[in-house]
Amino acid sequence: MSSKLRSGKLLLGLYALLVVGLPLAGLGYALLGSVGVVGPLAAGFTGRYWLALGADTGLLKSALFSLWVAGASLGLSVAAALGLVLGAQATLRRRPFPTLLYVPLLMPSLVMGFYLFQLLSRAGWLSRLSFQLGLTHSLDAFPELVQDAAGGGIILAQVLLAFPFLTLLFQAIYQESRLDDYRQLTQTLGASAAQFRWRVAVPVLLRRAAPALLLSGIATLGAYDLPLLLGRPYPQMLSVYIATRLQRFDLRELPAAYLAGFLVAVGLLGLILVLIRLTRRHAF
Amino acid sequence: MRSKLLTTLLGGLFALPFGLLALLAVAPGWRFPAVLPAEYSLGALRSLLAADNELLAGLGRSLLLASVVAAVATAGGFGLAWAIARTARPGRWEALSYLPYALPPVLLAVLIQPFIIRLHLSGSVGGVLVGLLLIALPFATLLLRSFWSQQATEYEQLARTLGCTPRQAFQQVLLPLAWPLLRTALFQTFLLSWFDFGFTNLLSVGKVRTLTVQVFTYVGEANAQLAAVASLLLLLPPALLLWVNKKALLRRPDLG
Repeated sequence: MSSKLRSGKLLLGLYALLVVGLPLAGLGYALLGSVGVVGPLAAGFTGRYWLALGADTGLLKSALFSLWVAGASLGLSVAAALGLVLGAQATLRRRPFPTLLYVPLLMPSLVMGFYLFQLLSRAGWLSRLSFQLGLTHSLDAFPELVQDAAGGGIILAQVLLAFPFLTLLFQAIYQESRLDDYRQLTQTLGASAAQFRWRVAVPVLLRRAAPALLLSGIATLGAYDLPLLLGRPYPQMLSVYIATRLQRFDLRELPAAYLAGFLVAVGLLGLILVLIRLTRRHAF
Repeated sequence: MRSKLLTTLLGGLFALPFGLLALLAVAPGWRFPAVLPAEYSLGALRSLLAADNELLAGLGRSLLLASVVAAVATAGGFGLAWAIARTARPGRWEALSYLPYALPPVLLAVLIQPFIIRLHLSGSVGGVLVGLLLIALPFATLLLRSFWSQQATEYEQLARTLGCTPRQAFQQVLLPLAWPLLRTALFQTFLLSWFDFGFTNLLSVGKVRTLTVQVFTYVGEANAQLAAVASLLLLLPPALLLWVNKKALLRRPDLG
């Protein structure tokens, strides 16, 4: 075996150890930690943390809240991006649009969270503006736009970060797939503009963008920075819920935190597998 | 008319964060209900020039960390992509490379934290580096995988036939050919590390005070002025990268 091949195999072995070994070992550790076998206060096998799941609805509510935020954010971002690509195609090709849409990509989510808090909170800039205009007469009169029960602030932040990227992605697919040629063809064959959009363009764009949409949805589902700044202590999104439980001073809470981490990781992996199968089955 | 309206609307929407952050950065005491600050001061920006300034140290720490992650991930990813191209089943290695993306970064940090503690890397730059490489290395590998096609091998063989040594073929043929993709990988892995907060904060238990960690700390302390200055500093490198090459910001590895 040549030295080049040997070093290639060694490199791949180390890579597998880092990329697969470490997360899977972590998953195993979390499972063992959840049954009291490992961890700082491990006292032997116990199933009580699993049994306690039935009484504790915190994790379930956190999962449902995360699904709601991820679904709403992705849905709104996709709708906005599709609307721009299909409704303002000529504008999108003209300056300054091609550069303008890159601007939000410069913004770390933490900065977006801080900015929206300064803009939309009850002491924020919009509240000050409405106070000066006489629309509100106190801090409390301004509606709760961030740290609200429905996660509206988090959803808005996610949409502002995601829709420019999705617009650029859909626009690239639109041009690569030569959808303008298809539009002319469908019109020659007697189809209306709406029929072209709904029966040709939208299915092509969504199918080709499906993997990126899937990753975007998973990223939102596990978002941490934005919910930490713009969310409420209850309900929390999944990443915040797990990190908060793990960072509590009471070490007896650790097995429950490991259990939550294990269940969320397994749940997400299962969800991804199902979605990948679905997107492959419906792909061209 | 409609086009102008849309451009103005989106331009305003995207410009507003920069305007508000800039105002906050020069407003030492901007209280409700004032729409504009009562006084302006460049004090927070001037203090950046002081040698012991914590923000400046955070900027240096973030720059160093992101640069090391970008360099190691890109170089490693290039080698790994080469090694994967020579395996019997490259598709399997590519699928495995997606594992770190299947889990949210904070959850990944929670899972690997016990091992980082055992390796005595918790709370250190080394621990954060290992964690960030866990995300950046597969990203660069997947991105650079497309380079090692049959065509690259043929170019390499042609160079060898024409008398190049393996080193010369690598340096004078393969590297220039791969440079656009390598540049993209460098940019994007730099930004992955530059933008990260949760992963770094959790793995370093708040001890590695990068700029993002500092923004969060200042927000927690209700120090909007310093949080705004740190936020503006965070926007600088991506803005420079956008100016240099905007395509490098968007390109993503293909998802099979």
